[in-house]
Amino acid sequence: MIRPTEIDIDREKGNFHYKTDYAFDAGVGLDEDTVKYISGVKDEDSWLLDFRLKALLAFEKKPLPTHWATKDLENIDFDVIRYYLSQGQQPSRTWEEVPDDIKNTFERLGIPEQERKFLAGVEAQFDSEAAYSRMKGDLEKQGVLFVGSKEGLSEHQEIFKKWFGKVIPTSDNKFSALNSAVFSGGSFIYVPPGVKLTQPLQAYFRINAENFGQFERTLIIADEGSEITYMEGCTAPKFETSTLHSAVVELVALKGAKIQYVTVQNWSNNVFNLVTKRALAEEEAEVRWIDCNIGSRLTMKYPGVILRGRKARGEVLSIALANDGQHQDTGAKMIHAAEETTSNIIAKSVSIGEGRSSYRGLVRMPKHLKNCRNNTECDALLINSESQTDTYPAIAVQGDGNSVQHEASVSKVSAEQIFYMQQRGLRESEAMSLCVNGFVNDLIREFPMEYSVELKRLIDLEMEGSVG
Amino acid sequence: MNLRPSTGQKKSSIFDSPAFFNSFLNTRSWEPPWLNDFRRKHWEEFLQAEKSFSKEGWRFSPRARFGFSKFQQLLDNSNSVQIENSDHPGITFETVEKMILDRPDVLASHIDLHGPDLGAGDIFHLISSLAHTGFYLHLEKNADPCLHPMKVSHSTANDSSALFHRNTIILEPFAEATLFESIDSEGLNSSSLFGNVTHIELGEGAKLNRILFQSCDHSSTLYQLEHFNIGRNASITNTTIHLGSAQSRVETKGSLLGEGAVFENYSLFFGQEKQLFDQRTMQHHLAPHGRSNLVCKNALSGESKSIFSGMIKVDNSASSTDAYQSNRNLLLSGKAEADSLPGLEILANEVKCSHGATTSRIDEGELFYLLARGIPQPAAEKLIALGFFEEIVDKIRNENEREHIRKKIESQFEKNE
Repeated sequence: MIRPTEIDIDREKGNFHYKTDYAFDAGVGLDEDTVKYISGVKDEDSWLLDFRLKALLAFEKKPLPTHWATKDLENIDFDVIRYYLSQGQQPSRTWEEVPDDIKNTFERLGIPEQERKFLAGVEAQFDSEAAYSRMKGDLEKQGVLFVGSKEGLSEHQEIFKKWFGKVIPTSDNKFSALNSAVFSGGSFIYVPPGVKLTQPLQAYFRINAENFGQFERTLIIADEGSEITYMEGCTAPKFETSTLHSAVVELVALKGAKIQYVTVQNWSNNVFNLVTKRALAEEEAEVRWIDCNIGSRLTMKYPGVILRGRKARGEVLSIALANDGQHQDTGAKMIHAAEETTSNIIAKSVSIGEGRSSYRGLVRMPKHLKNCRNNTECDALLINSESQTDTYPAIAVQGDGNSVQHEASVSKVSAEQIFYMQQRGLRESEAMSLCVNGFVNDLIREFPMEYSVELKRLIDLEMEGSVG
Repeated sequence: MNLRPSTGQKKSSIFDSPAFFNSFLNTRSWEPPWLNDFRRKHWEEFLQAEKSFSKEGWRFSPRARFGFSKFQQLLDNSNSVQIENSDHPGITFETVEKMILDRPDVLASHIDLHGPDLGAGDIFHLISSLAHTGFYLHLEKNADPCLHPMKVSHSTANDSSALFHRNTIILEPFAEATLFESIDSEGLNSSSLFGNVTHIELGEGAKLNRILFQSCDHSSTLYQLEHFNIGRNASITNTTIHLGSAQSRVETKGSLLGEGAVFENYSLFFGQEKQLFDQRTMQHHLAPHGRSNLVCKNALSGESKSIFSGMIKVDNSASSTDAYQSNRNLLLSGKAEADSLPGLEILANEVKCSHGATTSRIDEGELFYLLARGIPQPAAEKLIALGFFEEIVDKIRNENEREHIRKKIESQFEKNE
């Protein structure tokens, strides 16, 4: 992983790291032995090892998607990455048991503090394994499972094996194959029929080591009529060399279930964030991806919903902020596979300095369906003359029973708006911040309260010094 | 003159075969040597391009339907292009064949131009290499705008033959012209291939109003590749109507090279049976204060399919750009398909850009209104579809032509009834 970007952004909250001694280390580079080592450390069943080895073959065979995606992907050197690092296999159940340096990391990021306030459960992943995982007692009694991938696949196989790797096949793309080969950590969640979680579950992902690849795997199953909100946050320190984060997230919403998945991605901008996220929505189920990308060097993430049951609904709300040295390549996929399914995509991006943001979308409606509807809106805001934005939607509609509408616009903050506010005594940078916040405001409101406050602050921070 | 492929060549197509190409060159030994070199250069590039075609440029397109293998002959009939209204001072309006004979030097100075390059690069080189004629239109600086529009018609080849035209339009500064171009099969029932490449150069302040009407036989294959280079304060209105051919690949690129250039591109396609309309466009802004607008309307019945892939590209040098693009698809049957790939690539920040794409069936409310007034359903649907096309037809400024094209579109519906 060569060519670090030299541009620094003030994102100091996450920029620190502790020297940590790892008990388990799969070394540098990736081959069959690496995969066997990871599987061995986790004491996995043979079917899982086979699954990983098959995925490794798929990873080696698949080309990088550089015929349509950015050439920056070619800067990833898979041979210098460390694929597995951990201090121990069991997450601690109480905060006191967590090793001091890891505890300090999360204390500085304010994780347990948030938990005490409003969360129903928290998991904190430090490099490859969860360091801490806890859920409120009453949820456990209702049968809610909130465990790591290792525990999910060993102790609750009867629930999770059925859907594991089914929403996103191993060979979906090069990075989903990579994840399938070396995945570790992540959240496996099961919500029993009719159980409605009133408070969100949260996971926090932290990369601490240099040259490290984090490959968490998340699978959420919401059984009939259940409801769940899941939030994830990500940070990493700024290292000289780049880091790879490549997750696979699968959601299954059974009949009438509702899943809301909130991401606030604030990786430092040496991280390649190449994530595959997809959901399956059965009859009358509803899946909402709420996605905010502020950090990372390159993000490629296109959350999708396969609308498999009648009247299923899918939604993607996405905010992307691309600053100097960043490329936010985000989007959404809506695959309509049943009648009367509806989907909605609202994507807003802001490009600052030399930042580049792209929207890629796919909406597909086959001809045997009736009354499917999609609405897509993409708006891009350009702040400086070097900023860049692209929009690449693909819409395939067959038959006369369906309707789609797509709209996109690109604009800049007008000189008049800034002038108006300066007249009233605001500094230029304040005026600009206000304009940008106004541009994304209607989407930010969809985020949970404490996140939207944080987001506004982050956007202010990103906008500092961007004018002039 | 017909050329059969020599035996023992690989089956893919006759155009790949060196024996075919050499015997083609032999038949054209009377041409100036530079034209021979030009043909060979493009033929070699065709072989290269065929191997490395861009997948993105053919997304959603069943490329196999556009293959060359079924075409066994190359046609070089001198009647395949007809020119009307050519006699005006300051205007050269001739067939390329005649230009090669009479004024090859004029042709030489405008020969080496780029294609739209939106995916069908191989066929661009093939046409450049093998085109025997086409039309050449040149207006001198400040040439009087002619009162009557200029007309050119292409007629496609007959069964299993391929026909290639290469056309050039040059408007010197402040020249103005209206050009009607038509492509049809003149009643011949032909599953032929027609490849048409057109280069358009507009000097400062020049104005071109171009209307293309295509009604090829419903079993033919069409490649229509065009590239507009638009100079400072020049403007082009390009209106195209596609009713014919089994499969057509249309590539249109407008490069707004000079400050204040204007590019308007309007198109309509009415699809029936298994017709396929694969359209790729690019609005490329390279200079400040440019304006471009694109409206693409497809109405699809039967099992027809349309692909619209449009890109607005605004370079960093093109500040204060206004660019719009809209793709509207009307699905008239349960088996029709419309794919849209509207794209934006914006590298300048002082811009206003937007695109929209919609695909839907006939509005139930509109249909009910007409049914309630005693209009039978097929007639009501036809009225709504004609109304849908009117936005494009209305761009044709000449009243007679507009009415003529309206009738042609209407007659397509009658065929269906």
